[in-house]
Amino acid sequence: MPDAGAPHILPQDAAEETSYQQLMKHWMNERHAPDILPGQEVLLGKLLDHVRKQSDDVQLLRADPDSSEEEHFRIMLVQTEIERVKFVVRSYIRTRLHKIEKFARFIAATPEMHERLSKAELEHAKRYARLVEYHFNQTVLQSLPEEQRSLEDNVPFMPSMIPQPDKLRPVFVHARQACAPVRLPDGSALTMQKGQISLTPYYVIEQLLLRNEVELV
Amino acid sequence: MNAASHQFGDLATQLLTESRRSTATDTLFKYNDVLVRSIIREQRQLEGFIQAALNDPKNNPANGGENPAMPTILLYQTAIMRNKRCLLAYHHHRIERLKDLYWAVGGAVPLLLSMPSGSSNVGSQQTGGAASAPSDIRSKLSPHEVDFLRSYAASLLVLRTEAFSSDGTEGLTEDVDLLAPITRPPKDLHVLVRVVRDCGVVSTEQGAIDFRKGHRFLVHRADVEHLIVQGFLEEV
Repeated sequence: MPDAGAPHILPQDAAEETSYQQLMKHWMNERHAPDILPGQEVLLGKLLDHVRKQSDDVQLLRADPDSSEEEHFRIMLVQTEIERVKFVVRSYIRTRLHKIEKFARFIAATPEMHERLSKAELEHAKRYARLVEYHFNQTVLQSLPEEQRSLEDNVPFMPSMIPQPDKLRPVFVHARQACAPVRLPDGSALTMQKGQISLTPYYVIEQLLLRNEVELV
Repeated sequence: MNAASHQFGDLATQLLTESRRSTATDTLFKYNDVLVRSIIREQRQLEGFIQAALNDPKNNPANGGENPAMPTILLYQTAIMRNKRCLLAYHHHRIERLKDLYWAVGGAVPLLLSMPSGSSNVGSQQTGGAASAPSDIRSKLSPHEVDFLRSYAASLLVLRTEAFSSDGTEGLTEDVDLLAPITRPPKDLHVLVRVVRDCGVVSTEQGAIDFRKGHRFLVHRADVEHLIVQGFLEEV
């Protein structure tokens, strides 16, 4: 089981992170970032394998009549921990799903986004984009005069018809290590020391986040 | 329709107000077919005005210079764009609400459709939609919205059965139930539940349990999570 002991909410030592801590970090990043971050399929696969193995072990131990009272207590702790890991996995996937559906039409039209999603997620995004367009066509557009049926009007002073991630949104970042300087909107440079927490627009620290130098809190 | 007080876009504003009220009161209103139709009629009318202005020989720009009807056309065009966006926004808002409902009942579409309306905030409160008329959610939806909900559920089913891991091992559904609630992390392995509606015999870790109305059980949370979400059981 991943270390369940002290809740390392802000793990300082990147080298000794367990996969559960990594998942927690990616989960928090994903929940705070306005954009969709690269998916962590390998990590998820590893964790789920672990969970599966652990569940099997628990079943074995429970079936064993010789296990002591103390062991039963430990089994219960392990089971609870399994449920909690599953909760984080679930929440992580649902967070991504929420953003994927929100930006489905943008994703379908933007190849750069594709590599950040898993195959299943990408397929869902495309299906969902088609579904929404179909729904709009059925309910509204097909009844309008032909000149008004486009879903991609570009009118000045009106928001785009294809929602995109808002990279200007401010986020709290926590530096996991000393970071390379980044340029703030006013032109000055920001160099974060290890452990420092700042509030900046998302696009400023986007690259740092992808390089794992900072995390969102 | 009173021509003196009527402005283009008034109807669309009504539609948006309805969406806003829906959010504010956390209820799903009945699909406003009449209003949507009248706005679409207004769109056709506006398009007609534009064509008329363009075809009017008085406005022929052939003799150099700008088309004198340009400001008029621009006004109609703006009204058209606004109405269209309002229509789309209304429909989008509704499908977002539908999706919320879908997740709130753990993805059970038939249950969702037959659910008494007025209790869209499932789980958080008693499912007592007594105040409103005894109609179900389905009667509030347009047929297209029911279609949308079905297709959406189908798409999610594919997503859940397809493997998440790239190496193509077992699907995710085996281990993690995506539809389970994510509002509160589990603190306890077991949960004390009261049966609100009969749900027959369910096999749990402690063996098969016959959940009859009014009884209480202490059961493994993971075994009955979906029953709690769908409102058969209630946490005590």
